[in-house]
Amino acid sequence: MTAQPAAIAGGDGTGVSVAAIRAFIGKRRRRSWLDWYAAGFAAVIAALYLADLLSSPLSRLSAAGHTPTQEAATQAVAGSGLVIAAAAGLLLLALALGPLALSPADASWLLLSPLDRRAVLRRAALTAAVLAAAAGALLGVLGLTMAGPYLAPRSASLSSSWLALAAVAGAGLFLAAVAAEALAQPTEHRRRLARGCAAGVAVVALAGAVLGERSTAVSHAITAGFAGLSTSAFTTAAVVALVLAAVAAILTWRLLARFPAAVLRTDSARAGRALTAAAFLNVPLLAWIAEDDHWRGRLLSSRHWPKLPTAMVLAWADWRRLGRRPATLAVLAVSTVAPALLGAATTGRARGFIIAAALLAGALAAGTQGTTATKRDLNDPGLHRMFGVDTGTALTARAVLPALLATAWLTVALIVLAALGVLPGWRWPLLGLAAGPALAAVALRMARTAPINPAEPGIDTPLGTYYPWMITRIISIVFGLIAIYPALRAVHAGHVHGATFIAQIVFSAVVLGGYLMVAGRQQV
Amino acid sequence: MEYGSVVVLDGIDLTVAAAEIVAVTGVNGAGKSTLLSCLAGLRRPAAGTVSVLGGPPRDTAGFWRDVALVADQPTWYPGLTVRELLDLVRMTHEPVRGWCLPADRLIEVFGLAERADASPLSLSSGQRQRLSLAAALARPSRLLLLDEPEQSLDEGFRRELAALLREEYAGSGGTVIMATHDHDFAGAAGAREVRLADGGIVAEGSMTGQNP
Repeated sequence: MTAQPAAIAGGDGTGVSVAAIRAFIGKRRRRSWLDWYAAGFAAVIAALYLADLLSSPLSRLSAAGHTPTQEAATQAVAGSGLVIAAAAGLLLLALALGPLALSPADASWLLLSPLDRRAVLRRAALTAAVLAAAAGALLGVLGLTMAGPYLAPRSASLSSSWLALAAVAGAGLFLAAVAAEALAQPTEHRRRLARGCAAGVAVVALAGAVLGERSTAVSHAITAGFAGLSTSAFTTAAVVALVLAAVAAILTWRLLARFPAAVLRTDSARAGRALTAAAFLNVPLLAWIAEDDHWRGRLLSSRHWPKLPTAMVLAWADWRRLGRRPATLAVLAVSTVAPALLGAATTGRARGFIIAAALLAGALAAGTQGTTATKRDLNDPGLHRMFGVDTGTALTARAVLPALLATAWLTVALIVLAALGVLPGWRWPLLGLAAGPALAAVALRMARTAPINPAEPGIDTPLGTYYPWMITRIISIVFGLIAIYPALRAVHAGHVHGATFIAQIVFSAVVLGGYLMVAGRQQV
Repeated sequence: MEYGSVVVLDGIDLTVAAAEIVAVTGVNGAGKSTLLSCLAGLRRPAAGTVSVLGGPPRDTAGFWRDVALVADQPTWYPGLTVRELLDLVRMTHEPVRGWCLPADRLIEVFGLAERADASPLSLSSGQRQRLSLAAALARPSRLLLLDEPEQSLDEGFRRELAALLREEYAGSGGTVIMATHDHDFAGAAGAREVRLADGGIVAEGSMTGQNP
């Protein structure tokens, strides 16, 4: 296809700079003092939360030089694994957002223009670099704190110099990794490779943490490695990390000039939607973005609807969706080790709470993977009405998958907890079988709750303003706590006996049966 | 042009002359937008060659100086007014050489005078579509790619837009290729119709006599 040049003057010439364009836009951005106040307040709150989050791990550094206990070894191994897995998780998040992305408005008006592409992308690249360096420094420090009791030799000034070097090494490595992702961003197969690498690192880190926990030889090898660390080793790591970061940054900088507009348009639009949704806690929109990103461009083989009772056919959509997303099942399977690792990485009174909370959150997350169609039908009950199934029967059919998912996840997580010795005894998995079905009711309730609407007006009370969506979410959590209270109480206490099973079976029957009976009377 | 294993366009052979207006028509999913994406260089065909303004579409400053694309609904800068946005578009293409319309004229022609100092976010969907199209004419270009420009536009303004494209843009030597479902609009613009079906061109012909 050809189009002959038209008789219009054109051609390249040096135009206005991107800095001048940004100044033009910036001068007209009408920000009130309230915007600045909100930004400042958010920054202060974030700093406070960060300080609180770091205070506990940093206190482990004061243990350097003390005689380490077996528990400390477990914490060091599990904690290190979790830090590496967190780093891999952040890399996956960065990849999902770009990592190079413009604001949607910039992508609309500055991208497909004669402006210098590198200059247009400079701000986005610097932002990504600063965020990557900050996250890397934080992860480096957290990684160091995990090895706290094993650090040697010790001196009064050791912690600060090692902390600085660990922060530099972490920042350099993470920056290099994010820059590598930016280099992979324009090509789909490289992007898949980067995604696979990050996921692989996460899996290996979690597996290493579990292995180190179970195998004395491995944990001793790891902790001996910590003990052998010296200032020169840290310095070398920091220098290597900085060199890697510099090389990756230079390559990325060179790529910016010819970064493809098509990729940026798609990624910027997705990142913009995702960040807006995250800023307004719009979980349904985030879920939609994830679904859209997953299914877009995929070819699915159509199947006939199964010959099952009508209500089960209605519920079958969720089974089919899950069958088409084996990665979700794989992630759920891998995540069953999380409660054990969190339990191994913590001590004291908080330990039981953390394990119980991780079990509740994980099992609920597993259960909600089977309620997508229920959520959809809340907004559009057309399919439900077309089938002519009453709400109670439909809800019962739809409870089967979340019940199976929650039960399976909970049981496997408890098997891992028992196998790793985090929870003593062998009867724990049976508790998972008893408790799982109750969580199906909670997952269904969550799916049938109206989506979060940030624009919804709050309810003023003497104790402050409450938002209906916030209250419904809190009720769901409380419902979950009640549903498996006997199991959570046993996990928190660290021992399980016969009465616990009976109590949990009764709770499950009452919660699930009661929910299906009450909710089944409501119209969709 | 393929999406995975699905072939969307196959055996397309099309030549567009300078100052010509071409309306690509066809049912939903026929490949109209995909064809425009290929011409803009945003998608690469699996086989064959695409030549735009004498060379393959390249994602370069020179290419985007010559080619204007109005496709998806854009995102607006919250702080900029209608007039400021048009000024911004013009700024991004400085030094301005070639046919384009100044912001004041665009605001008048596109019926945005009463909303010239309003934020695009406060406009109706039809007014936003007018602004998107106005922005494409606020800067010089030699090829204008429009994906369903008639969307949300009222009947009367469609005719005015068609006349503007025919008499002023194409009259100044610019080429327009647009995907459209509106035969009357395309006819009023004096476009040559290229109808797509089953991944290929099934018909070509003048639409000038339809409803000018």
